[in-house]
Amino acid sequence: MAGIRDTVGTRARGTPRVTRRSLLIGATAAGGLAVAWSVWPREYQPNLTAAEGEHIFNAFLKIGDDGHVSTIVPQCEMGQGVSTLLPQIIADEIGADWRTIAVESAPISPLYANTLVVDEDSAAFMPRAGVPDFVADVRSWVRREWAVRHAVMLTANSSSVRMFEGPCRDAAAQARALLMMEAARRWDADWTECDTQDGFVLHGGKRLRFGDLAAGAAKHEPPAQPVYRASSTDPLYGKELTRLDLPAKVDGSANFAGDIRLPDMVYASIRQGPFGATRVKSIDKRAGLASPGMLYVVEHERWIAAVARNWWAANRALDRFAPVFETAGEPISSERIDAALTRALAADGWRIARAGDVEGAMEGRTQIAAEYLVAPALHAPVETRTATAAIEGDRLRVWVATQAPAQCRAAIARATGLAEQAVTLFPMMAGGSFDACLDHNVAVQAAIIAREIKRPVHLAWSRAEEIMRGPPRAPARAKMIATLNSAGGIDALVSRIAVPSTNHEVRARLFDNMPGDVAQRASVGKPDAAAVEGAAPTYAIPHYAVDHCPADIGLPTARWRGNADSYTAFFTECFVDELAARAGSDPLSYRMAMLGGSPLLAHCLLTATTLGGWEGGLPGSAQGLACHSMRGSHIALMATARQSDKGLQVEQLVAVVDAGRLVNPAIARQQIEGGLIFGLAAAVGATTDYEGGVATARKLHQLGLPKLSQSPEILVEFVDSDRDPGGIGEIGVPVVAPAIANAMFAATGRRIRRLPLSGQPL
Amino acid sequence: MTKFSVNDRPVEYRMDPDTPLLWALRDASNLTGTKYGCGTGDCGACTVDIDGEAIRSCLVTIAECEGRLVTTIEGLSRDRSHPVQQAWVAEQVPQCGFCQSGMIMAAAVLLRGNSSPSDAEIDAAMTNICRCGTYPRIRAAIRRAARVLRGEERIAAAPPPGIRPEDAARAVPALHPSPDS
Repeated sequence: MAGIRDTVGTRARGTPRVTRRSLLIGATAAGGLAVAWSVWPREYQPNLTAAEGEHIFNAFLKIGDDGHVSTIVPQCEMGQGVSTLLPQIIADEIGADWRTIAVESAPISPLYANTLVVDEDSAAFMPRAGVPDFVADVRSWVRREWAVRHAVMLTANSSSVRMFEGPCRDAAAQARALLMMEAARRWDADWTECDTQDGFVLHGGKRLRFGDLAAGAAKHEPPAQPVYRASSTDPLYGKELTRLDLPAKVDGSANFAGDIRLPDMVYASIRQGPFGATRVKSIDKRAGLASPGMLYVVEHERWIAAVARNWWAANRALDRFAPVFETAGEPISSERIDAALTRALAADGWRIARAGDVEGAMEGRTQIAAEYLVAPALHAPVETRTATAAIEGDRLRVWVATQAPAQCRAAIARATGLAEQAVTLFPMMAGGSFDACLDHNVAVQAAIIAREIKRPVHLAWSRAEEIMRGPPRAPARAKMIATLNSAGGIDALVSRIAVPSTNHEVRARLFDNMPGDVAQRASVGKPDAAAVEGAAPTYAIPHYAVDHCPADIGLPTARWRGNADSYTAFFTECFVDELAARAGSDPLSYRMAMLGGSPLLAHCLLTATTLGGWEGGLPGSAQGLACHSMRGSHIALMATARQSDKGLQVEQLVAVVDAGRLVNPAIARQQIEGGLIFGLAAAVGATTDYEGGVATARKLHQLGLPKLSQSPEILVEFVDSDRDPGGIGEIGVPVVAPAIANAMFAATGRRIRRLPLSGQPL
Repeated sequence: MTKFSVNDRPVEYRMDPDTPLLWALRDASNLTGTKYGCGTGDCGACTVDIDGEAIRSCLVTIAECEGRLVTTIEGLSRDRSHPVQQAWVAEQVPQCGFCQSGMIMAAAVLLRGNSSPSDAEIDAAMTNICRCGTYPRIRAAIRRAARVLRGEERIAAAPPPGIRPEDAARAVPALHPSPDS
């Protein structure tokens, strides 16, 4: 197979230039980082399969004799549109006709490692401040190498386009060069004088189809550096193309993990008991096995699964098995969680970020303080955890939606005693996820059941299991303290945030295969910069500090759409509003006065308030503001909300977003709208209490999720920008709760300092 | 006891008569477009049309369906031509898509009885849960489908499935009708 040789880790862009000598020095200076020769960059070949008449150009592209262009997407499609966005980038660069584009999910390969998210994640863990630049560079390079070697293909942190635009564009440019070389050979022309458009290579008046050139083109050697296509008069990039997955999503033919049907297949449901060190103590086997349609019971030390001729029969049988669980230690409860947060806030914390000298600035000044409390947040995707597994001889096939396919496959292999190479993972679309698919227990369980009963099996968690056993986004409690300057502006700000060290837990579950309770215990007390991400103010505040106070709440916690920013923005944006009120200022001008260093965010805020008709934040106006920057993007939101006899009414949300260059503005708009509604859900619900180690909510209606009738009027505007794309999947979420809380304060004069807003006042 | 019509075909399910329709459709008929999201009627992902009513198929048993006419998303149209399906693509409604079969069935039933629904009527009919936040677009798509039904607009947004390669090649110059010729 010819085509470009994909190299990862040797790209000039994004990789610090390190010689072996500087690496060794750096490693020593970094404190004995064990850097062996084996981390040296290496070349990987694409492990794609070509259909008959199809030619592999590189890890992102295949072209067929018939003219179709298959694009390879190495990210989990969970509604964010990635299976349209990356193909759109490729189609634009190669000069294809959009109607010829096909999409395939990528196989597991180091070529698709998401080095960006690993690097960002690590930086958030261990802030760069205080580390010499060259050490930070080497550490970051080592992390990226690690990500590549372990094929860490994470879908997370709104990183799909930020990570893969470059590789997709390079891959398309290289394939385009090969097509032009082949055409030039046939025409006896200079390939660099050729162009491409609508699936043809062009030169003078001549043209040849990609399909006619593909077989020959794949045999050429590509140029050393990608040669990019001059911008087209009618570029696909930036166009509001219809998502490729929509037709299949309006006729029921889009397949999710639970829609796989195999000969002889059976259906399983599972019970896992309370969070914690839980074991199955007993089951009523006789009653369970007598349940109609019941076929097999699979008993694991931590769970029990019933397998039947249909899922409902399996789930009903579980009731009759009446499993009894035993949990070591004190059971998790909301009281214990709240007490742990309060205790952590009072104890010493880790200083994660700082500027100026907060202690000096605050000394002898009047300190203004407020505490905020945010409940755990459930993902509650409409698709519950689901996987399908089938043993065939000594091979295992698993269909599952996963945001970390290589780690999912490794966990399956470990649990079943198979070699990783014997496990084939079919990456499916996720029915929501919101980061729930970073946990892959369901795939491991399905694999164990399939091995046990030796039949293809579909496992779906019931809704109650999903609510009870899905680790939520962490609850958090914050104490915000400020001193003001003579004009009433913020001179110093301390954000002390008590929250579990979630990212240590997530890593231990994902990369070390630890059970949730073990990972939770192992994370206790660790500093976690990612757990307070977004708390360092965007505002020009001369002295500030962000402290993480690790809380041992007992409950395993997880990543979630918006992660820590979803509570840190609530703390900061509500507190700033409180300070504005105290200073007798308009919340808009109070913010604008501090945004001189953030012109992009300031522009969003001005535009949103102009579009929304900001009335100056007067009491009774029912208007509230919030703004936030994350993942290279900026958002300002103006909410109109009031209390009525029907409860909290959010009437309008006006959002202005600067997310840089937009690949597909229609999808970007979907993502912001969706983020706002996800944020609205978290502002009013999407939570549960815990009692005796389990969630008290069992049914979806108990979560208070908004429906169409509670959906406010939404207006979304994007700022025209040529900046590199910023993240867009999460940024809609964090601003909603503070904007609504601020609007309710304007409407009623009452300040709500807890989420959900519908809870008892703090 | 469990004989009825699914997508215009007569069926008899040899299952426990108490089995909810959802599981007969999914696990016996392999009509997997109808989704399980909660089993308690809260999410609406399993909404189907039974005798012209939008019903949560997780809440009705196959015994209760005896003699009735059930239509699922697979039976709404053969070629995505239903105005609701076309409007759904034209307005770019779906994100993850998991709840959308139920949403589309609820909207189709609403519009069959009322081709000019008010906002309040849309609110009352569309009680399904979508976590991706497609609500604003659902309202717009229902209004658009209503315009199509009233003959005020035409949409051709979603292509039919199973387009033959020759036909595709006639419309798309970059495609080769027969690579070997």
